[in-house]
This record gives sequence, C-alpha cells and structure tokens, in this order.
Amino acid sequence: MRRITIQGIGTFGGFGTGVQALAQALEKGLVAPSIRAVPTGHGATELAALRADLAPLEVLVQARTLRRMDSFSKLALLGARLALEDAGLEPAGNDNLGLVIATGYGATTTTTYALMDSISRDGDACTSPIHFANSMHNTAAANISLQIGATGPNLTISQFHLSVPSALLTARQWLLDGRVERVLFGAVDELSDLMAYLWMRQRGEHWAGPMAPLATQQETAIPGEGAAFFLLSARDEVKPSYCTLQDVSTGRHSGPLACGTDLLVLGADGRQAFGATYAAAAKGARVTCFTPHYGSMPSGPAFDLAAAALMLRRGKAYATPASEACDFSATVLPADAPLAKEEISCLTFAADRGFGRIRLGGV
Amino acid sequence: MDTKTKLKKALADELNLPELNAPGFDDDAPLFGEGLGLDSLDAVELVIVIQKHFGFEIKDMDEGKTAFSSINTLSAYIDKRLSE
Repeated sequence: MRRITIQGIGTFGGFGTGVQALAQALEKGLVAPSIRAVPTGHGATELAALRADLAPLEVLVQARTLRRMDSFSKLALLGARLALEDAGLEPAGNDNLGLVIATGYGATTTTTYALMDSISRDGDACTSPIHFANSMHNTAAANISLQIGATGPNLTISQFHLSVPSALLTARQWLLDGRVERVLFGAVDELSDLMAYLWMRQRGEHWAGPMAPLATQQETAIPGEGAAFFLLSARDEVKPSYCTLQDVSTGRHSGPLACGTDLLVLGADGRQAFGATYAAAAKGARVTCFTPHYGSMPSGPAFDLAAAALMLRRGKAYATPASEACDFSATVLPADAPLAKEEISCLTFAADRGFGRIRLGGV
Repeated sequence: MDTKTKLKKALADELNLPELNAPGFDDDAPLFGEGLGLDSLDAVELVIVIQKHFGFEIKDMDEGKTAFSSINTLSAYIDKRLSE
C-alpha cells in the first residue's frame, strides 16, 4: 500500500491565520470568541462566535482575481494557499494535483441570499449570472484549481458533520489508486448571516462561552468558521512531513468504537446532543479535545486533524481547554505529555449513530 | 443622474468594480481584456445589468460588441436606445 504523508497545513479561524497561529493557540490556551452582529427582523442582535479573518487573502491574491468570488470561495482559497505555502509549493503549475473539499453547509451567503434574492427581486430574466455561478456546488474547488494551476480532478463533498472523513476517504483513495500523486484536501465552513441567525433560533439564549466540550451534559457550543487544508502526498518527498495518514473510516456504530491504544482527539464541540456518545467512546481512553480553539462547525474535524498532525510532529500533547470540566472517566492528557505510542485517532460523531475516524501515525 | 454616472454606479456595484468611480478613471479604457479585464461571464452580467437599470435588452450581439468597448461607448449606446 502506498504511504500517504501530510506535507503542508493551511488553517485559519478564530485563533488566527496559519498553522503557526493554530500551534500558538494550542500552546497558549483558550481563544476568546468575538461578538458577531446578526441581522434579524427586529434589528441586529449579538452572537459570540469564533470568526475568521479574510484580510490575509488580499496579500496573497490580486483584488481583481477575487472580484467575482463569494466569501465561501475566498475562505477555501485562503486555506488552500496557506497549505501550499506551508508545503513549499508554488500556486501555479501543479500538475498531477487533485483537490477535494469538504463542507457541511456550503456557500450559504451566495446560494441562499444573493441568488434567491436576485430571482425574487429582479425576476427570472434578470437573475445574476455571477450569483448563479457562485451558487454551484463545486465552484470553490473550481476557483482554487484555476488559481493554483491544479490539473487533477476536483470535487466537493458534503455529508454534514461527517463531511471531513467522507471527503478524506475519497482523497486517500485517489492517492492509493495512483490517480494523482498529491491531493490538496481541505474543509471549509462560513458563518454567514443566515447561519448565525439559524444558530440563534435553534439555541435560543445567547451563550458567550467558554466552550467546555468535555462537560458532555451541558450545551456550551459556540459557532466557528474558517478552513483547514492539507497537502497530502504519495510521493517520496524531500521536505519532512508532519505525519502519515494511516486510515479513514466512516459508518454507523452500534457500541463503543475499538480504537486500540490510540490517543483520541475528540470532535466533541459542546453540543449536548452528542455529549453522551463521546463520553461512552472515550471511556477509559487517553483523550484530548481542541474545539474551543476554533468553535463548533461541520468542518471541525479538519482542525482536529491539524492539531493531531502538530502533536505528532512535536511528540507531545497540547492541553485540552476546560479539561477540569470533564464529566466522564478518561485520561485527559496534560500539556506537553509525551506521546507514548505514535498513533492518534480523530473521532467524530454525527446524527443517526454516524461516526468518522481518521488515524494518523508518525513519519 | 446622467446616464454615464448611473451606468458607472450600477457596474461598480454589481460587477464589484470600485475603480470605475475612482478619480482619474479613463472612460475610454477598454472594458474587456487589457483594460478592466472583464470576460465572457461579465459580458452576460453586463447585459442583465443594463436590462435591470435601463429597461431594455441587448439582443443584437454585433451591436453589443461595439457598445461594450468602453464606458463612453456603452453610455452613448444606452442614450441612443432610450431615445428610440
């Protein structure tokens, strides 16, 4: 079987921009949420959120190139460019590079507001072609491929909270089959006005934090947004890699998952509905959880993956925020605990007993 | 508001081209290619923007090609169509 390594990571979100910003947040502690104004029918109201900053994209890409892109494509492009930069690759001439994007919600600003508003306001005959183009499911992936000169296949996969493991299955298979030599794999979700409004409607009272995802009987989720991209390679690369991608699996569980002696990075994100499932899966295991650094979003498992890759490279654990609130029996690794066995599983649970598990190993 | 000002405002807003309203912008600069860099998707949007803001459809593409040369030619074309 071909060996797959992670050669570059591009992340940004509430913690800042770049893989170093994520590493610093993981080392230094909890990221404070910012306040987002959410428009409602009764005026604006406030929501605590872990928001992403797109300004760094304007340094990397010409304004003219970004002119027609919606915010979702921009989020994806920034993640992709950061991952390429981290891997030491140029954003051009990337032959034999595939692209797979995972997203739980997709382009909610464009699809739901801009295009629909254009149809209802201006009529069918005057619907904006640009909004229509941006509303297509694979537009962000197409934009990235054009901008970085990727000539391999590109694809966007949505399976709500299992989007990341589901898309990574495809990326891994392309590499194992030899369809491409490298895959730029990433996950992205935006906290648009619509999504922020829905978040507030579903949860009612405003929760300003902090997130305490291991307090599994409480609702402590704060919404997040951003992107996490990875340059996966099946080549014999010269540049040292972060770690190896060993296995990806998704399915439905009927009891606790067998994760062996792996360290578990739990995707628990403060949503009480999934708390008991995470507590049962982690019972007696060695665990960490980093969602308070980037917030609750379907793309969260990609950030878990980035944190796990960073831990494997440094050989030590990061502290789990609000670990003192853990309400189940598990060993929550303290900061800088050495990783005894170099295998980490990132675990995600979703509705209908769905699960996703991504296993990483040392180089 | 005169036709040219209205046109520039509509294009700046709908095609995200703030430079159209910047001081010193050359209204004779080509809209496509080396000028403002518009392309075929923008051309379709341009037809829609004109229909929305000026109330007529450009059906003759040969006529449209000449009209779409620059802000000045497009503005003159709109005035001509509105006076017919």
